Amino acid sequence: MVSKQIKAKEPKAKFNWKEFKRQKVLMFWAALFVIYGVIFCYAPLVGWLMAFQNYKPKDGILGSQFIGLEKFIRLFSDSTFLQVIRNTLAMGIINLVFTFVTAIAFAILLNEVRSKFGKKTVQTISYLPHFLSWIVVTGILHDVLSGTGIINELLINIGVLNQPLNFFAHPKFFWWIVGFANIWKETGWNAIIYLSAITAIDPSLYEAAAIDGAGRWAKIKHIILPGIKPTIMILLLMNVGNVLNAGFEVQYLLGNGLVQSVSQTIDIFVLKWGISQLDYSLGTAAGIFKSVVSIILIVVANQIAKRSGEERLF
Amino acid sequence: MKMKKLVAVLLATMMAATTLAGCGDSDKSGKGSKAAASSKVDEVREYTAFFAVPGNEINDDNEIQQKIAEITGAKVKETWLTGQTAAEAVGTMIAGGEYPDLIDGSDGTAQLYDAGALVPLDDYLDKYTNLKELWSEEEWDKVRQDDGHIYWIPQFGNVYEKDMTPTPAEAFWIQTRVLKWADYPEIKTVDEYFKLLEDYNTANPTMEDGTANIPYTILCDDWRYFCLENPPQFLAGYPNDGSVIVNPETEKIMDYNTIDEAKSYFQKLNEEFAKGTVDTEAFTQSFDEYIAKLSSGRVLGMVDQWWQFTDARDSLKQQGLEAQGCNYVPLALTMDTSVTPNYNTEQAINVANGVGVSVSCEDPEGALQFLNDLLEPEVRVLRSWGIEGVDYEVGDDGVFTRTDEQWTLASDSSYKASHICTYSYLPNYFGLLADKINAATPTEQPSEFVKSLPSDVQECLAAYDCETYLEMMDPADAVPGPWFPMYSYSNAMTTATEGGTAWTKMGEIKHEYLPKVVMSADFEESWKEYMSAYEGCNPQAFLDEMQEELDHRIETSAKYAE
Repeated sequence: MVSKQIKAKEPKAKFNWKEFKRQKVLMFWAALFVIYGVIFCYAPLVGWLMAFQNYKPKDGILGSQFIGLEKFIRLFSDSTFLQVIRNTLAMGIINLVFTFVTAIAFAILLNEVRSKFGKKTVQTISYLPHFLSWIVVTGILHDVLSGTGIINELLINIGVLNQPLNFFAHPKFFWWIVGFANIWKETGWNAIIYLSAITAIDPSLYEAAAIDGAGRWAKIKHIILPGIKPTIMILLLMNVGNVLNAGFEVQYLLGNGLVQSVSQTIDIFVLKWGISQLDYSLGTAAGIFKSVVSIILIVVANQIAKRSGEERLF
Repeated sequence: MKMKKLVAVLLATMMAATTLAGCGDSDKSGKGSKAAASSKVDEVREYTAFFAVPGNEINDDNEIQQKIAEITGAKVKETWLTGQTAAEAVGTMIAGGEYPDLIDGSDGTAQLYDAGALVPLDDYLDKYTNLKELWSEEEWDKVRQDDGHIYWIPQFGNVYEKDMTPTPAEAFWIQTRVLKWADYPEIKTVDEYFKLLEDYNTANPTMEDGTANIPYTILCDDWRYFCLENPPQFLAGYPNDGSVIVNPETEKIMDYNTIDEAKSYFQKLNEEFAKGTVDTEAFTQSFDEYIAKLSSGRVLGMVDQWWQFTDARDSLKQQGLEAQGCNYVPLALTMDTSVTPNYNTEQAINVANGVGVSVSCEDPEGALQFLNDLLEPEVRVLRSWGIEGVDYEVGDDGVFTRTDEQWTLASDSSYKASHICTYSYLPNYFGLLADKINAATPTEQPSEFVKSLPSDVQECLAAYDCETYLEMMDPADAVPGPWFPMYSYSNAMTTATEGGTAWTKMGEIKHEYLPKVVMSADFEESWKEYMSAYEGCNPQAFLDEMQEELDHRIETSAKYAE
């Protein structure tokens, strides 16, 4: 019914051969992307069959024996995997919340800086860590947080600690170290997009607000934040879908035996049991689980945004 | 028309000229290496190889590699493991389905076999006598897989004539300065060892430049954590079966994780940790950080395999820290003196790994021919000693020697990359060279060995009246039985079997709980926790499978007893 009404309202030009020819360049490019998508995004999904098989590389996907949901059952009866889901979600949410809030706050603060030179300098310095690889960042973290590192020295000098604390030996610190590493690395980079959204706000709004007697704080609250709200919503939605991509390198490089119960993410689990133990089926099952949960998360978040009348993805 | 013809002719001439020029070039390089003139092989066959162990790549224009290529008509481009575990590297290759020509999967070898990545070698082997003679019929049978075929050639543990090894494998190491300070005492037990470390550190808390000493550290990074978990087998007087103990009388498998020696050893570590003797960062350091610590000379003692801290020894030498007595000598400790230590065993074949030919190799015969040629006496000398007059000198009696300059050159990493080519993970013999006069490698040559030692180690060995590291510690015993070493089986286990799953889980539990136990304020309580978590992995399933393999190995070797 609804669709009919819409159709009735705006009569669309019928799509025919003539129309197609008129847009042939566009059609050509569109076809390229469709082909690309089919080959590189959908064709590999055949590999998902592995999760329902007792896959042996020797026999291939066609020759391996089908075993139904056995691998999924094993996955969810494994207490390690449940632990791994918990870790992934926890670190994903910590990362999401913190990088999100700090990036917006940082963009707004930077926007308030009057000196153009100061602004540019701070911005450049702040997004540089984005270009460091995780191996370098974890190396720095190891040094900074080591027994003779700057953090321990500082804490001892101001009297918080009596003797150096080995931060990597305590499971309770691990998620926060990872969260902190993400903030340090990504805040400056993520702030760029908000900064550009802020610049796009019509300057006359500020003038009008100033005439009405709005101070800086009121301007931020009533102009900047509502102005960048659509950007915030879209990025939030996209990041929600990424919560389960809580990371691989950081945890892999910073983890050790003592904290492995809180450091392993789904990706590490897949590497450990899928690749190293040659149980590709189990690894694939864990991968499918991750994809399905991510899709659900993004759809749910999108629906919520739709209901509350906000900007949304689809 | 004419114009067109002319152009065509010109083009053809030009092409011919370029081809000729190409030929000319290759000829030139051929003549430079003297190969083209003498043999009909005018092109060097090239193979690729991957070894799933850490190693250093050599340059593409390596001089000795070139020389070996002249003799054998082939060369192998070697690549090594970087920053992954063997199983990860091999698993990734299998997932991709493409392999180098030659491959040693190390701990991932069984996976390669399961994936059908290796070519059966039985039919080929008869044609290549050097390779065939490398192992006896009995030993080849041990390498056969359950389908009756041989898929890889074990490269190590093959002694030619006489074992010359002067160095131990795993040991409790201690810096010579500690022993010297205590006037070279006899250290036999773990208690004595830690007491000495403590006493020394109390008397000398820092190095000469003021850096604080670390009395004892433990390497615990990923698969290298055996330095933490496997000493109990040695402390109980058993050799390095790696994953279990085999009682040679009853021929039964025992679990070294639960024996009394294990508990008392970790209790000792727990006490020492509380006293501050054990490095507080031991369990969180990476391998690189560990090597850096050893290289600084701060660490007084640790458990390790000799081959694992080679970089640290080189670095100590370059910094001249031998003057401070920072080099390590090995000790064979036990929990109490009634137990005879058995840290070292004679060379034994490790049937679980070896170099195999992959299904991606287009010329398996050529590759095997090359491996065969590598065992020729002339090539063996090139691989281990180098070029006469450049890397070593020959005396009138045929004994090889190296001058001091040659020794220094041989430890230089850029010289190693551009000149030396040992093909260390391709088949070779240990012991003596084919001339039966010289040792297979320079460091094993008795006259050369002493020269290669740092001065503090020389002094220390002299004080104990010993000539080699091995002598100072615990001379190699005979292989305890045909099953040795059992780790060749457990290393190859995967989660496909119940025992393999148990083995993987046991590893994870030990990796997490052993550090906890050592760091705990209440040892008994945390040991109990550890044991209950350990039992939760179903270790019996693992032990049963090991027992099965043990029985199987004893049975197989009985066939050859007559």
